[in-house]
This record gives sequence, C-alpha cells and structure tokens, in this order.
Amino acid sequence: MPSSAPSDAILVADDIVVQFDTPEGPITAVDNVSLKVRPGEFLSIIGPSGCGKSTLFNVIGGLLGNYQGAVNVAGETISGPHKSIGMVFQEESTFPWRTVTDNVAFPLELVGMPKRERIERARHFIKLVGLDGFENRYPGELSGGMRQRVSLARTLASEPKILLMDEPFAALDEQTRLLLGDKVLQIQQQLKQTTLLITHNITEAVQMSDRILLMTYRPGKLKRIVDIDLPRPRTSEIVGSEAFGRYVAQIWNDLREEANRGMRDEEKNALHPGDRTL
Amino acid sequence: MTMELSTGGLSRRDYTASFLGLGSFIAFLLVIEALIRLGLLNRFIIPPPSEIIASFGRLFLEENIVHRFFFTAGECLIAGVMVTICGIGIGVVMQRFNLLQRACETWVAAFASAPLVLTYPLFMVIFGRNAWTIIMMGFLSALPPVILKTIEGISGTRKVLVNVGRSFNLTATQQFWKILFPAALPTIFVGIRLGLIFALINVVGTEFLINFGGLGQLINDLAERYDLAGTYAAICFVILVSVLFFMALEKAERWLRPVN
Amino acid sequence: MVTTGQLRQAAAASSGMSPVTLLRITIILAVLAAWEFLAHSGWLYRDVVPSLLSIGGALVRLLSDPNYYFNLGVTAAEIAAALAIGGSAGLAVGLLLGGNRFLSRAFEPYLYYLGPTPKIIFFPIMIMWFGVGPESKVALGTLSCFFPMALNVAAGMRQIDKVLIRVGRSFGANTRQMVLKIYLPAMRHPIINGIRLGFGFALIGTLLAETKLSNKGIGFLIIQTYSIFDMPGMYAMLIVLFVLAIGANALIGKLGGLDSIKRN
Repeated sequence: MPSSAPSDAILVADDIVVQFDTPEGPITAVDNVSLKVRPGEFLSIIGPSGCGKSTLFNVIGGLLGNYQGAVNVAGETISGPHKSIGMVFQEESTFPWRTVTDNVAFPLELVGMPKRERIERARHFIKLVGLDGFENRYPGELSGGMRQRVSLARTLASEPKILLMDEPFAALDEQTRLLLGDKVLQIQQQLKQTTLLITHNITEAVQMSDRILLMTYRPGKLKRIVDIDLPRPRTSEIVGSEAFGRYVAQIWNDLREEANRGMRDEEKNALHPGDRTL
Repeated sequence: MTMELSTGGLSRRDYTASFLGLGSFIAFLLVIEALIRLGLLNRFIIPPPSEIIASFGRLFLEENIVHRFFFTAGECLIAGVMVTICGIGIGVVMQRFNLLQRACETWVAAFASAPLVLTYPLFMVIFGRNAWTIIMMGFLSALPPVILKTIEGISGTRKVLVNVGRSFNLTATQQFWKILFPAALPTIFVGIRLGLIFALINVVGTEFLINFGGLGQLINDLAERYDLAGTYAAICFVILVSVLFFMALEKAERWLRPVN
Repeated sequence: MVTTGQLRQAAAASSGMSPVTLLRITIILAVLAAWEFLAHSGWLYRDVVPSLLSIGGALVRLLSDPNYYFNLGVTAAEIAAALAIGGSAGLAVGLLLGGNRFLSRAFEPYLYYLGPTPKIIFFPIMIMWFGVGPESKVALGTLSCFFPMALNVAAGMRQIDKVLIRVGRSFGANTRQMVLKIYLPAMRHPIINGIRLGFGFALIGTLLAETKLSNKGIGFLIIQTYSIFDMPGMYAMLIVLFVLAIGANALIGKLGGLDSIKRN
C-alpha cells in the first residue's frame, strides 16, 4: 500500500494488466499495477528479472497497446507514445549515421525548429550531459557510457514532462554506472525533471530516487512502496552512508524472495528438453 | 565474405608471406618462359610470357584498348545505375508490403542462383547484336543481390532504433527516411557492390560471346585472328581491370562504413 | 500482438489457402495474362513473344525428343566432371590455405581477387589447350567452380571451433584422421555452400562455352534455336534449364542439410 499518496500526480497508471499468449498458455506479465508519479519526483521501479518491469515501461511509453487499465499523463489518457513522455532505452539507441549534435537535435528537427536554433539547443543539452567537445563525433567513436549520455541528451532535448528510462546503465560497468548515475541525478535535480526509472540495481535505485516501487516476480504485482528519506541534493557519496546501507538491506530483504522464485522458475524451464527454439 | 587484413601494421611475417606469393607467381612465369624457349612447351599453345608482355604495347597503340575500356565501362555504368534505381526501389516496395515480401522473396533468391546470362540469345533477338543486349545482361544478373540486400538491410534495422522512432511518434514516411533507410545503407551498399561485380562479369562475358562492344569483343577478335600473345595480353588486361574495380569497390565500402 | 496473427490465420484457414499462396497464384496468372496479351497484340516483331500455346507445344516436343535428352546428358556430364575436378582441387587448396596462416597470407589474396572476374574470356585458351570437344567446356567449368570452392573451404577452416582441433590432437590423431574425422565434418556447411556456388558457376561456364563453340549440349541447342529463329523452342529450353538449375541448387542445399543451420 502506498505510504504517501501524491495528490497532484502528473502520471497515473490505473490497474494495468498485461497478458501474453505463449505456447504453454497465457501468462500474466503485469498484474493490476497502479502507480502515481508527482511532478519533479524521481521514482524507481525495481524488481527481479521477469517481474514485468520492462513490459510496464513499454506500456507507459505507449509502445505496447495490448493491456487492460489506463495510463494518464497530465489528465490525458494515452493511446500511443505521448509527447510528454521521453523514453531512454536499455540498448544502444544512438543513430550511428548521425553526429552527436545531429542525434541530440533529432527531436527538434521533427518539430521543424530552424537549423541554427536546433544546433544551439542541442549544444546546450550536450553540455548538460558533459559531452562538450564531442559535438561532431560519431557514436562509433565514443564509449558505451558516452553513447548512453547522447541518448539521454537526445531525449532531454525534447523537454519531456516525464523522463522514462529502462535500465539505461545495464550494459555499463559498475564505476561508470555510479558516475553516470551521479550525472543523471545532478541533471534531474537541476531541471526538476520528473523521472521514472526501471532498474534491477538496488544501489542505483536508492541513490537516485525519492520513492521506490518494488515488484514481485511474475505475475508482476506491486509488493511495496519505499520512501527514500535521504537528503537532497545528493551525490554518489551518499552510497557510503549508514542510512543508505539500511535502505539497501531492507529492499534486498524484500526482493530476495522474489529473486529466488525467479531463479527456481528458470531452472524448472531449463529442465524441459526438446524445447529448443532459435 | 571479406578479407580481413591484419590491423595495426604489417608484421615481418606478413611481408614474407606477400613476398612468397608474388615471388611464386614471378617464378612460375620464368619457368614457363624457360620451358618454352627450351622447346618443351609448344609456343603455339602458350606464348612466352615475354611475348605476352610485349603485346601490351600493341594493344594500346593499334587495338584502341583505351577506347574499348571506356566503352565497356560505359555499359557497366548504365547497367549499374539501372540496377541501383530498380533494385533498391523494388527492394523497398517488397519490404514495405510484408505479404509481397513473403510471396516473392524466395523467387528473387531463386533467380540469384539461376543462370540468367544464358538468356542472352533471347535478348539478342529482342535488341539485336548491340550494346543494349549487353547492358540488359549486366542489369538482370545484378538485380537479385541488390533487391535481397535492400530487403535485408531495412528489415534488419535494430529494433531499438525502430522503437526510438516510435517513441517520438514518427509517421511511417518519417520512420522510413529518418531511421530505416539510413540504418539500411551499409547493407544496401554491400548489395550494390555484389551487383556491380556481377554486372561487370556479365557485361564483359556477353561482349565476348556476341562479339560486340569493348574489351570482351577485343578478346574474341584477337582469338579469331589467332593472335595468341595478343589474346593472352588482352585477357590479362581485363582480369587486371576486374581486380582493380573490385578493390576500388571494397575501399568505397570501407570508407562508407568507418565505424562498425 | 499475437491475437491479430491468430485472426489472420483463422481467416486464411477458412478460405483454404494461405494469403501468400493466393498472392503468388495471382501474380503468376497476371504475368501469364499480360504475356498472352502481348503475344497477340502484334506490337513486337513476329515471334519475339510467342503465345503460351506455342511455347507449351514446344515444351512438349522438347521433352519427348530423345535428341534433347542426349544433349542434356552431354551437358550434365560436362558439369559433373567440372564439379568433380574443380571441386576437389578447390577443396584441397582450401584445406591447405585454411589450415596454414602463412600460406593463406601468401596466396589467398590472389584467389580472393581473381575470383570475381569473368571466366568465359578464358575460353579461347581452353580451346587451344584442349581442342573443340567437351574437354574445353569441362576445363572452363572447372576454372569457374574452383574459386568459390577454395575460398569457402579456406574460410570454413578458419571458423572451426579451435577446441575441436585440440580434442583431436589430444587423442593423438594423425593428419589423415584429423582431416576425415574432424576438419571435414566440422566444415560440412561451408563445403556444401562451396559446392552449391561451384555448381552454379560450373553450370554457367559450361553452358556459355557451349553456346560459343560446340556441336553438342544444351548451350549448343539454345544457340541453334536462335540461328533458326525458333522462338517457342528457345523459350521452352530456357524454361527447362531454369527449372533444372534452380531445382538442382535447392536439392544440393537440402542434401547438405542446410535447413538445419537454423537450429544451430
């Protein structure tokens, strides 16, 4: 049950249910999940692999239409990708054929902003993510962490009301993660950007969030909401504090059970021979 | 299937290997030369390499090989332009309409392995013994790889890039021009490279067979005149041109794809 | 997501035919109709587009003509010989180059760059060396199919999982055993692919050579129909040729178990 009920929510998801048809029968990926996001808050959704959080990401982002329930953004029910929601994907999503500037300017190009203004705006966001000096490079010349920053800058350039991120740092090593997490935190606090982060990394979630939603293993239900009462503004130094450690321990306690169920399920599936697909 | 050159400088082993390769070839030529001069090989079947090399001068001065080269190149260029426009166009349309793709893609793949160039007598009937028959042969044989690679390139766009486009609510046209097509270009160029190679091979081959045109016709001509050294020299020239053309295309592809 | 697919399948099942088959049949019928229209329109010179009936008649005459089967046999024998000689040479050279990095660096670039060149232009040389009989055609076919075979096998050698080679060595296998029990089985897919490509090129090389200078074989028959302007006959022969070529290609693929690549 939510421990604090936000009244002026900018994003409301009501009773989302998502089912998929598989050869073994229908499975429920997301089971009656509801959530509310306040403007300016940083909300993380955390859960073990297989808890349906990426499905939820696609539902809120409007990329998946086959669900029950409704998602409302600033009062409007969405029916496809909403212009107030900006998405950052888990995989490499920069356009390899465009320079950094042209990548970041992409959403501005779509709304017909004149070229000079576009480039200036793009520069601003490139600077924001700390990539000034790399404006004319191609993504292929950058590291993985830098490419994710380009994707982030591109989404931020569209100035979304809500930033929706699906494990954007999953492919990066731990140190890069912490530093990028720091950067995202700074940006979010500076822009007062409403952010919804999907992750399986507890440290990351506690580091950056105001609230954390814990999901159970499939069928994904909301297990608990944790208010993170760590002071703001924060930096990655908070990772060393006692309060931080307590939050992580508490959340892991809750999640361990779900993660175990996930692992046992996978082992059960692996024992079924003759089930080879591509 | 591309040749992977060792990156980051050639080692001494590589130089030795290249030396061995080149050296063997030269040694082979010298052995042939010696065997002919000793009378062990019939010089009316294999002319001495020295005579072949000497014939090159004749090819340039008397046989107008430069002019013929440009004629052949022109035919290849026309075939190349036609196949680029038609091949990419057909590929785009087929990919766009999934049912069409599922129905026809295997047909195109089947034609890729079929002896299309064997229809040249048919085209001779339609166009006569002239350049258009030759261009058509180059065009038709180059078409299947371009179509197939275009479909492959567009279909193979990474799903996350498609999702980025969807997350920005792009229209189908915007999605195609801003995301699918640019993402497909490297693969499309592979198809064009394959197509151009087939075009060259079939243009020269058809020139030889129907005795019309540039370089291919020259070889046929020299052979019919029993100019042995000249025939060998002309064949070497054509092979050289093919190899250089192939290398140039590879360079172009690598230039277009600096980061992979 | 899955539900629309199920709907489509249900619709197709009720009409008794998949939409793909339906579209294919429609396209074929449309092309045949356009052809027949063109044949009777009189726009093109007399028999350039003969009516479907005359082509059908020519097909029947062709397939019941023992002379045709004789020539088919000649061509098939030439191609088989070319594939046998060029294929085994290509296999041997490919194994050698693929197994030895140094030799590969020395000689493989030559194969790689000489491969995509027109081979039919070597035909005058082949005639000088082997005469005007089938031998020169076989020689050209051999030359054509050598390169794809050698290159595919060499590449295939390099792609073998190194651990398999270590296993063989650890059991003390000698060279012959290594080749027969480890290298060749591990490379069956590149080899089959090499054979498929080699067959295609040998087919083209041999047939083109026959059209240029021969008195036997399918190529010879095709050029004969050209010189007597027997268009329905030419079309019939080309149709049969394409069916056989595409069929043989698919057959080689099936025999090599290439479909099972997908499972790996």
